[in-house]
Amino acid sequence: MASIELRQVSKIYPGSAAGVKDIDLSVADGEFVIFLGPSGCGKSTLLRSIAGLESITAGDILINGEIVNHVAPRDRNIAVVFQSYALYPHMNVWQNMAFGLRMRGSPAEEIDAKVKEAAELLGLTPLMQRRPSALSGGQRQRVALGRAIVRDPQAFLLDEPLSNLDAQLRAEMRLELVRLHRKLGRTTIHVTHDQVEAMTMGDRIFIMKDGRLIQQGPPLEVYANPADTFVAGFLASPPMNLVSGRLVEVGDGLAFRTDGAMLPIPAAFRAAYAAWAGKPVIFGLRSEDFHAAPNGDSSAPLTLQVEAVEALGPENILIGRLAGAPTQVSARLSRHYSAQPGESVTLYADLTPMHLFTPEDGKAIPRPRAAPALLRRHA
Amino acid sequence: MRHFGLHAGLWLAVALILLPPLWVLRTSLVPESMAYSTDVFPAFSLENYQSLFGQKRFGTFYLNSIIVALGSVIIALPFAAAMGYAFARFQTGGRFGRFLVLSLQMLPPVALVLPAFAILRSMELTQSLTGLTIVYAALNIPFLAWILMGFFEGIPVDLEWAAMTDGTTAWGAFWRIVLPVSLPGLAAAGVLGFILSWNEFLFALVLTGSKTATIPVALASLQTSNGIQIGKVSAGVVLAILPLIIASRFIQRFIVQGLTFGSVK
Ligand SMILES: Nc1ncnc2c1ncn2[C@@H]1O[C@H](COP(=O)(O)OP(=O)(O)OP(=O)(O)O)[C@@H](O)[C@H]1O
Ligand SMILES: [Mg+2]
Repeated sequence: MASIELRQVSKIYPGSAAGVKDIDLSVADGEFVIFLGPSGCGKSTLLRSIAGLESITAGDILINGEIVNHVAPRDRNIAVVFQSYALYPHMNVWQNMAFGLRMRGSPAEEIDAKVKEAAELLGLTPLMQRRPSALSGGQRQRVALGRAIVRDPQAFLLDEPLSNLDAQLRAEMRLELVRLHRKLGRTTIHVTHDQVEAMTMGDRIFIMKDGRLIQQGPPLEVYANPADTFVAGFLASPPMNLVSGRLVEVGDGLAFRTDGAMLPIPAAFRAAYAAWAGKPVIFGLRSEDFHAAPNGDSSAPLTLQVEAVEALGPENILIGRLAGAPTQVSARLSRHYSAQPGESVTLYADLTPMHLFTPEDGKAIPRPRAAPALLRRHA
Repeated sequence: MRHFGLHAGLWLAVALILLPPLWVLRTSLVPESMAYSTDVFPAFSLENYQSLFGQKRFGTFYLNSIIVALGSVIIALPFAAAMGYAFARFQTGGRFGRFLVLSLQMLPPVALVLPAFAILRSMELTQSLTGLTIVYAALNIPFLAWILMGFFEGIPVDLEWAAMTDGTTAWGAFWRIVLPVSLPGLAAAGVLGFILSWNEFLFALVLTGSKTATIPVALASLQTSNGIQIGKVSAGVVLAILPLIIASRFIQRFIVQGLTFGSVK
């Protein structure tokens, strides 16, 4: 059982400016959190620092409230699944999984039982005698996972542990990891690029960019209230539509004006956005907030010149431009609604979950928080 | 037809390379008196080998060479491994350190022979196999360290990290993971060091005596004032390259083997 806390942690690699900077975060005992961010943003670096494999440049790392900056990795009792798997090439699957227990001097029967159990769970039983070189990528990844599970550590650090599995196995393992976490209750940090993993697995997500922590919170809350255009774009596929334009006063209300569209700002946000009237802003709306028919009183019609249609099966994604505008917009509609490329269609934007961002640094302009979608349904 | 031309060319190249050693083998197996005959194989005789092992005491020299070459490798390998690992993983000494190691290889051996002789003489180790073994070990260390550095650099640091989170110390990770994984590299380096010591002439000439000579020195001594005894020299050369042929077979196997294949993505 372990809580993990980072205070002003920086890790800058010597001879470069790369690394992570001023990270403050705390993960409660038993919590499952997600690190999400683009390639090279420092997720693995942070994980290695927590595991004690990299000496940090500044700050303090606390496990269970105690500073562990100078505690050796083996004494932190944290299991790591490495992005590269890092299987021991001269050992077979069984030996790979048993290594940690052997190093800690567990009795032989216990080692055997635990390794068997983990192998069963991960579907590795028929492969126990194979060397890593004779395994497929997905099998290697499962061995790496198994090696961590058997150890029964205080905490798990998983660096993209599902990245190399096929879609079906990934979905199974996703559920399996969550189930395992519920059963063992171990603090877990899970690094991923995957939207679905980020949204569904963790209690909270931490979004990183360029070595910094940008935003943290429960997945749906972050989804509903992105701190800036980066988070807005990153945490969804297709990314949130971001359109440059200007906030204008219309009568006693406000509207967002851009080439090809004029969208009234919902009355609830008027006070919050008043200071930005007349100024350039970036308007953000997710693709699922477009509808084929009017939907409530904050629906606004607009015309989309369709350029491409992605029929995914359960839904159709229309990609196009607002009449004459340069920015591309995508709208996620039901599978019953489609259009041909080249056609102009009228869609209705539900503006209740809209966002405005400053054009200078992309930060969200504060407004009354939108409740996460799930909660709204119960309201 | 293009293949035929290619193969003919390759065979020609093979013949060009193989002909001299094959002729040496042939000369070693014919009587001394017929050594210069233009016949391909005038007569078969083992007299050259008999004479080498008999009156020329080649057996002793052979043993000397094996002791010195093996001994120097056994002494040099652990040091070279530690050094190569430090260079590879901890960048000890930085670029300058690496350059220093490499620069030792550029030094002409002649520059080192006399100092080595002076040092050994002060320790009364001249004309002894021990002295030569130590000197060979010292000559081998930078070379082997350089080779092993390359092998260690090829081992992902993730492997050591995994071991360390699995409960080993940094030393334990080196001992249980890095060393076993780099066994092919260690073997290859060992074989190269062996060949280097086996072939070395200059230091052996200066630092050994009549009883402690190694094969290269013994071969040179066949060149007497009565001329070169070409039959015996040929037999000696055949004996000298025999271990090298075996060694290079080994090295091939080790080097062809993938090092850490399968351990990381
Ligand atoms: N040993 C190192 N020396 C110097 N720079 C490094 C080192 N390791 C990583 N970096 C740099 O630090 C930054 C963060 O790397 P890191 O591996 O933590 O990224 P990441 O978020 O895990 O990316 P990915 O999603 O691709 O795995 C990158 O710019 C990388 O180039
Ligand atoms: Mg990474």
